[in-house]
Amino acid sequence: MKYNRTELAGNIGFTSVIDEKFKTACLTVRFITKLSEDTAAANLTGTDAITYSNSSFKTFSELNEKLSSLYGASLSSFSGKRGDVQILGISSAWLMNRYAIDGEDIEGEMLSVVRDSIFSPNASNGKFDEESFRITKNELLDRIEAEINNKRGYAISQATKTAFKGEPAEFSSYGTKETAEAVTSEKAYSAYMNLLRTAPIEINYVAPEENPSVLEMFRENFAKIERVPEKVLLKNPSLLKNEVVTESEEFDVRQCKMVLNFKTDCDNIYAVKMLNTIWGETPVSKLFMNVREKLSLCYYCASRVIQSKGTVMVDVGVERKNIEKAKEEILRQLDEIRNGNITDEEFESALRSIDNSLTSIGDTPSSYSVWYFDCFCEGEILTPQEKFEKYSNITKEDIVRAANSLNLDSIYIMYDKEEQA
Amino acid sequence: MEKNVITSSRTGDSCIHVKHKSGLDIYICEMEGFSSTEALFGTKYGSVNTMFKMRDDKEYTVVPEGIAHFLEHKLFENEDCDVFELYAKTGANGNAYTSFDRTCYLFSCSKNYQESLKILLDFVQKPYFTKASVDKEQGIIGQEIQMTNDNPEWRVFFNMLRCMYHNHPVKIDIAGTIESIAQIDADLLYKCYNTFYNLNNMVLSIAGNIKADEVLAICDECLKECEDKGLETVFPDEPDSIVQSEVYETQPVGTPVFHIGYKCRACNGQERLTKNIALSIASALITDASSDMYQKLLKEEVINSSFGAEVFCGDGYFSVIFAGESNDPKKVRDSVVSQVERMLTEGINEKDFQRIKKSMYGSLIRQLNNVEAVASMMLGAYMAEAGPYDIISTVSEMTSDVVLDHVRRELDKDKLVMSVVEGAENE
Repeated sequence: MKYNRTELAGNIGFTSVIDEKFKTACLTVRFITKLSEDTAAANLTGTDAITYSNSSFKTFSELNEKLSSLYGASLSSFSGKRGDVQILGISSAWLMNRYAIDGEDIEGEMLSVVRDSIFSPNASNGKFDEESFRITKNELLDRIEAEINNKRGYAISQATKTAFKGEPAEFSSYGTKETAEAVTSEKAYSAYMNLLRTAPIEINYVAPEENPSVLEMFRENFAKIERVPEKVLLKNPSLLKNEVVTESEEFDVRQCKMVLNFKTDCDNIYAVKMLNTIWGETPVSKLFMNVREKLSLCYYCASRVIQSKGTVMVDVGVERKNIEKAKEEILRQLDEIRNGNITDEEFESALRSIDNSLTSIGDTPSSYSVWYFDCFCEGEILTPQEKFEKYSNITKEDIVRAANSLNLDSIYIMYDKEEQA
Repeated sequence: MEKNVITSSRTGDSCIHVKHKSGLDIYICEMEGFSSTEALFGTKYGSVNTMFKMRDDKEYTVVPEGIAHFLEHKLFENEDCDVFELYAKTGANGNAYTSFDRTCYLFSCSKNYQESLKILLDFVQKPYFTKASVDKEQGIIGQEIQMTNDNPEWRVFFNMLRCMYHNHPVKIDIAGTIESIAQIDADLLYKCYNTFYNLNNMVLSIAGNIKADEVLAICDECLKECEDKGLETVFPDEPDSIVQSEVYETQPVGTPVFHIGYKCRACNGQERLTKNIALSIASALITDASSDMYQKLLKEEVINSSFGAEVFCGDGYFSVIFAGESNDPKKVRDSVVSQVERMLTEGINEKDFQRIKKSMYGSLIRQLNNVEAVASMMLGAYMAEAGPYDIISTVSEMTSDVVLDHVRRELDKDKLVMSVVEGAENE
């Protein structure tokens, strides 16, 4: 594997990873911007629109036809959040030319498609083509409406709002129904142009062979843009509330959901992540072994770390009558760790689990892309092996300290309707 | 034991097949340059296998719905400890799943694959069920059932199957119901285990950072020879007709979700593979974003990008499903029917056909890039009674005439059903 990073002018990073075992190339362009309720939907609609048409393929139909003729090459947009910032962009993947049955130059053609989508969108007079815009706006409204379809995901999203109330991280990277409805073609185009000018940009190219024309294409086209990159805060821990806040909603569902948010001011992230692994990340974690296996209260009970906000979240799907019992057991298992009740086996298996995950990075093009972007956000480019060494230096005492730094901040509960009467 | 090297003539990729003396079929794919390993140990036993007998049995045994899935959960506990605890010692990620026609136990790891493979082969061959452990699992699976009942995508799919199938157990939920799993006890679990977990009915598929000879040496050490007892599974007679053409359910959802499905004739082996590819291409032509129908429905805001199609098939069932979100699912259904009729009268545009075929070919090649996908592909091929790379050659050799012929024979509007899950306000 060959890793290379180039800094382009205007706060643009280009990372290439060449690994000859792959049969495909993968190109991801990420725009990093402040998360705001006012701009999230416009930013998303703007980056969506550039994947529906461009100046060469002026309709969704034409662009789709081109992609499928190139052996199902993909071009899609994404939007997510990382703490207080919105991360949006486009991702594209294609087969290497040697697999083309009819000798097509798949990579050459796809680089043109990506170039036109990013730098030459289907727009005129300061707005996107109405048809592409209308499709993307409807898509976004449907996505916002459909958030409730996934009850676990919805509960986590609502818990996030409660945990980070008053902070940018409380907002969805989709925006709201109201802000999405208010987006016009002009606003979406302006938002996208603003991202091109002001957002810090990270580009990742993963392929089996070097192709200097990829970097050149970006260098040449970004040189035509007057970049004024904004400053974004990739890490902004959330403060603990004065008292625990509980929010709840009621739905016509068969299973209740509960999410507990814990805040931490621990500056040893590796200790917090080890704590998370032991507490609730794996099938031998304390939450899985006790809340699920021993007490038989649920199908899932898991914890996760939101590093950028100094938060650990636990979620569980449970019957209404067992909500309190589940909560008590979740807290009791945290107390166990606080009291130093971590067996050697738990400690070693957490390390092995982390080692296993880190060692498999690089087995898919997207895992390289995500790894190096995470490294960028965390401010330190490390190899998976170097990161594992940091975990190896963590002691049980560090984990106990991390556990003692956790404080319950807020709770979200989705109740079922039937039994509350 | 003979090692048969199977090579894809299209891509040059190859894997090894061994019929082990224990009765087990083993597929191994060494993938140079990859760090991880994926192993799947599967049995041809899924939620549809509710009626069976061995060669020497006089009568068929009928078991409660959801028992294959229940057995999968319970096999993770052996006499001394939980299997997850064993995997924790090697660092592997262990898991399992049950579908309609199979149960698979798997692990992925990037170190110590030999130890993890021993754990996998060992625990799947060592059942241990007690009344206490069965009782405990009913609470966990009960919550899993409730969770899936709250999932509109799950509900809309099973409601569709219930509209389609009169008797075939494909219409039952994989995990069963709270009532059906209450009937399960340790004796029934042993009965099912001893029937379906015979190595002659099973496969090991392993890919990634491995050595074939090491894998086979571990198999020699861990596999217990099994006598082929002549397993017979039967399904109730299933008429060609559907049960009802529409069903609606109310749930908290955004835009209503729909499944529109054609009931087709079931078949096996290469015939199933050919039909699968032919109808996958036909349905891709219908849902292709460049098609007139797609563009019209998109412009009218009847569909969004969630609209797509898939072939769903297995032992005794075969259907083509169009799914998505829409405020007017009936219009989508009518459009699909019109598009099928148009295809039959006007034929298939050869350029579009070649484009879709290339897209499908590209997606198969991309799978060969991924350790997990390769292991799943080899296992899937075994379950479908096909070779690992047959799907690539079947796609490559497909013609538009064959596609059209399948459309003519299988996509009958009298066998079309529609299932919708919508919010209360849509009622």
